[in-house]
Amino acid sequence: MSFTNDSLDPQHLPTLADARLAPVSARLAPCQAVLRALHWLFLTALAAALPFLHEDFAAWQPWPALGIAALGTVAIALGWWEARRRAYGLRQHDVIYRRGLLVQRTQVLPLARLQHIETLSNPVERAFGLVRLVCFTAGGRGADMVLEGMTAAQARAIRQHLLAHLESTASERIESDLP
Amino acid sequence: MSEALRPTRKNEQKQPGWQRLSPWAVLLLLLSGGVTLVRQHLPLVLGAGAGLTMLERLGLRELALGGATLLGLAMLCSLLYYRRFRYRCDGDVLIVQKGLLEHREFKVAARHVQSIVTHQPVYMRPFGLVLWEVETQAGEASRIALPGIRRECAEALERELRSSTDLAPSLQGQRNATPSEDRASARRAAPHFTLNGKAIVLHGLASRSIFVIAAMLSPFVRPLERWVHDVLPQLDLAAWQPASPWVTIALGILLVVATLSVLAILAAWWRFHGYELFDEGDRQVQRSGLVHRQEQTLSLSRLQVVEWVQTGLGRLLGRGYLVCHQYGSSGGDAAESRRFLVPGLTEAQHEWLTVRFWPGYAAGQPLQRVDSSYRRVLLLRHVLLSTGAAVLVEVLAPGQLSLLAWGGLAGGLLLLSSALAQWRWIATGWAKENSYLRIRRGILGQRTGVFPLQHLISLRVQQSWLQRRRGVATLHLELANGRQTLPYLNAKEAHRLADALLFSAENAQLA
Repeated sequence: MSFTNDSLDPQHLPTLADARLAPVSARLAPCQAVLRALHWLFLTALAAALPFLHEDFAAWQPWPALGIAALGTVAIALGWWEARRRAYGLRQHDVIYRRGLLVQRTQVLPLARLQHIETLSNPVERAFGLVRLVCFTAGGRGADMVLEGMTAAQARAIRQHLLAHLESTASERIESDLP
Repeated sequence: MSEALRPTRKNEQKQPGWQRLSPWAVLLLLLSGGVTLVRQHLPLVLGAGAGLTMLERLGLRELALGGATLLGLAMLCSLLYYRRFRYRCDGDVLIVQKGLLEHREFKVAARHVQSIVTHQPVYMRPFGLVLWEVETQAGEASRIALPGIRRECAEALERELRSSTDLAPSLQGQRNATPSEDRASARRAAPHFTLNGKAIVLHGLASRSIFVIAAMLSPFVRPLERWVHDVLPQLDLAAWQPASPWVTIALGILLVVATLSVLAILAAWWRFHGYELFDEGDRQVQRSGLVHRQEQTLSLSRLQVVEWVQTGLGRLLGRGYLVCHQYGSSGGDAAESRRFLVPGLTEAQHEWLTVRFWPGYAAGQPLQRVDSSYRRVLLLRHVLLSTGAAVLVEVLAPGQLSLLAWGGLAGGLLLLSSALAQWRWIATGWAKENSYLRIRRGILGQRTGVFPLQHLISLRVQQSWLQRRRGVATLHLELANGRQTLPYLNAKEAHRLADALLFSAENAQLA
């Protein structure tokens, strides 16, 4: 294995702010809306079905359900908006995923830390043709990065890229182990 | 890396080199299992009176018969466990086969071992046995124990695993491992750090043991209360009792605190008596224990984060302890006690030892504070929480407080909130020192983590809309021992630090 040690200019290191991010699939917004709608419908039904034990409050029975339904509508709208703003990026040595509307979170996972990848999808995601890529690292206690809103083709391409990187790292390790 | 596989018994039974646990281990396993069972269920049985109820319901003879049957079953299971348990070293791989109903085989490659621990409880000493544990980079879940092998066998096993890793110096990072013979002689040399009696006492007072002991003793409060209620009136203690009830209460609290402090000191003595730390080149070895002797080996090439911990009382006493984190270490006080821990250190000793663990590290730089908007945000959070609590009090007990009392309470809470926000803001700090990052957090008790930039696992830059307006960002760093957070950094500074961390982590892999 050849060893290189080129000088680097600290002022011109690749920066996270300059990383090019691509939006996730546009189908993520309706998919998230359906999932959230199911969740809030359940809560609304629960609120509507639970009777008030006190007679004085019986007239107010529909209001909690209506309140939860209104809250759910706002949550679905915000979720839709948030899903449209999600983005991901692949660089030579790391993966980037940005999410959040009011609170924006940009997560970066160096590929050197990657141990294995999982592909997951629930029935609603499958109906929209979406999958999730879950990345695990060494020493992590769970999923370290979840890339949501990938189309099957995108997920396949990213998975191939990550696996190729994992294999090349593994072969380099084996070479370095040899006397 | 450990993995569970179904063994191909026909082939492997013919292979030589398989070793078994000591026959005494069966008896000792049974004893230690019984003691653990009793210890875990004693508060329940005594506290709730379930033991007496069961005794009255079943009868003494039936209970004894049931106990004898259970004991017989346990002995049978232990014998089967002993028969199935075997291990051997195949080159640089430790193979362990065990399992009562499900047969399992574990393989641990020497290059993946990050720590080795040898325990010698008092009941194993007369037989010359030890409990030997090995942990890989997968963390505590991967821990494999050989419960009851001869000390010589344990030492030979450790030597064999070490000699295997010595053959692969590239895996040991930049530090050169000394050969086994040299290290063996180094071990016989004087330790480079020991604990004296004063340090153990101060560690006992300054550690969190006092709270742990209080929590452990809490099930006994009710029986003690009943006993005091029944017995105390019969004793003539009026002559001893102070006239003022406040003095009595103060003395009672003092007695409880003093008892807990003595117990905490005894616990520290139990674990850290005769503490010695040896430098073996690439490894640090510590031995301690009054009755239950323990030897822990820390591979420096596997060390991820060194954390300097000081409780509030510890800061007053000028003492703290170092926790060395490796891969897969979960958080919490219970998990922390299983880590490689150097107790009873002064500030100067901690700095000296940190440099021994991280060669090239120099903590000369003062810590930088985060943006002052963090203090305002903390104040706002505290005020909102206090207001919520005050509203709750008013709802639950309306009209109990006068307007003046409400005013005093609001003023007091505002003052307390401001003080807490100020303390937390002052305590939160960070410094980038060459290729290391130092982060401090806490209010009364403080934790300062030091780690090389290249040990970053992943990071997250977070900005709320308020933070975007203020031009600040919060940096969450995922490390082997959990998350370190740098809140409200200047956004440009946060991005610069994130870039430097990513560059170090990614470049270290390529080098």
